[in-house]
Amino acid sequence: MNNNINFDRNQAKRLLLLAILAGRIMLKNGAETYRVEDTIERMIKSRKGIKFAHAFVTPTGIFASLEYEDEVFTYLVRIKSRRIDLNKINLVNEFSREFVSTNMSIDEGFDKLKSIYRAETYSLMLNSISGGLSCGFLSFMFGGSTMDFLASLIIGFIVVLSVNKIARYKLAFFINNFLGAAIATLLSIVSYTVGIADNMNTVIIASIMPLVPGVAITNAMRDTISGDFVSGLSRGMEAIFSALSIAFGVGFILNIYLWRIR
Amino acid sequence: MFETIKQFVFSFISTIGFSIIFNIPKGLIVKSGIVGGIGWLVFYISSQFFSSSIISTFFASLTVGILGELCARYFKKPATVFIIPGIIPLVPGAGLYYTMLALLEEDFYAAATKGTETIFIAAAISAGLIISTTLSKSIRRANTK
Repeated sequence: MNNNINFDRNQAKRLLLLAILAGRIMLKNGAETYRVEDTIERMIKSRKGIKFAHAFVTPTGIFASLEYEDEVFTYLVRIKSRRIDLNKINLVNEFSREFVSTNMSIDEGFDKLKSIYRAETYSLMLNSISGGLSCGFLSFMFGGSTMDFLASLIIGFIVVLSVNKIARYKLAFFINNFLGAAIATLLSIVSYTVGIADNMNTVIIASIMPLVPGVAITNAMRDTISGDFVSGLSRGMEAIFSALSIAFGVGFILNIYLWRIR
Repeated sequence: MFETIKQFVFSFISTIGFSIIFNIPKGLIVKSGIVGGIGWLVFYISSQFFSSSIISTFFASLTVGILGELCARYFKKPATVFIIPGIIPLVPGAGLYYTMLALLEEDFYAAATKGTETIFIAAAISAGLIISTTLSKSIRRANTK
């Protein structure tokens, strides 16, 4: 067991804050509930003198408490904005392993977590280009022609770029997905009418793929299996609603188009 | 055979694209691309044996789940890093689209058929993930005992 010298009441408080900060970074970037709970509890229990540590995590908030010398500290953190950054989950995971197995001081831990919090993501350009590439090759996988590939490549690029730009206004995720799907459908119809794309359906399907709720489905299932039914249900709702908003976005533009050609 | 290799390369590249969108650490991008590529390959090959894409999706997501858990063990990284990008090509975007199209064309029979298929494909993905995660958890528990 680790034995930290000068571990007092104040330190115990800061340890709880540190563990919650670690959990918060993970949850904000799309980690599963059990992983966040596990990280917080492990980090708290790794120091001597802690009798009891528990964490309760939902997708929208973290509660954690620890008992130190007959005193119980409890903190509550609310999580509002969420996005996907798997690199940060990985970094915090490595950090917590290091924190548990070494005698790292709590101040040092805060410094490391802050640098993880500011860790760089891939640039918007690279993001959009890779979005375009995945859409293009998805259209091949769904049986598209070379012209469909080119159209999906360009449309996927524009969709990922504009969804990222729209996300800066911090709208509800429903509107985000709706606008993304609408843009994808509109551009696909335009490219089909102009004559770039051969198969409108394939291009639309390939270019809405960056919006589909793959993360929500995966995390909802993993949460449900580990017994976190509250998180599982709310993430399942997230998946259903983002699928619905994509369908509405596609349907909105498609309805106008079908009505025009009728 | 050539077609199979082509499918693998396409899905490999598109999984890599998604892994960049989800900000996967640099060293793991190619590995998650391989996981996604193999998952799609299972889907592609098994869809030639089964008439329904639901069963193929189940096998593909089971493969992605198991490979993801194995990679997570081997490279000591969270399993979601490998699973999330690999699962994206299987998500029923096409079903979603054709359901909406049928609804707009007021072909409610086709909408019900396509809609049900979409829901079942999503359920197949979930079932594949459930089985692979449960297996890995119970194996881990047995090993620590």
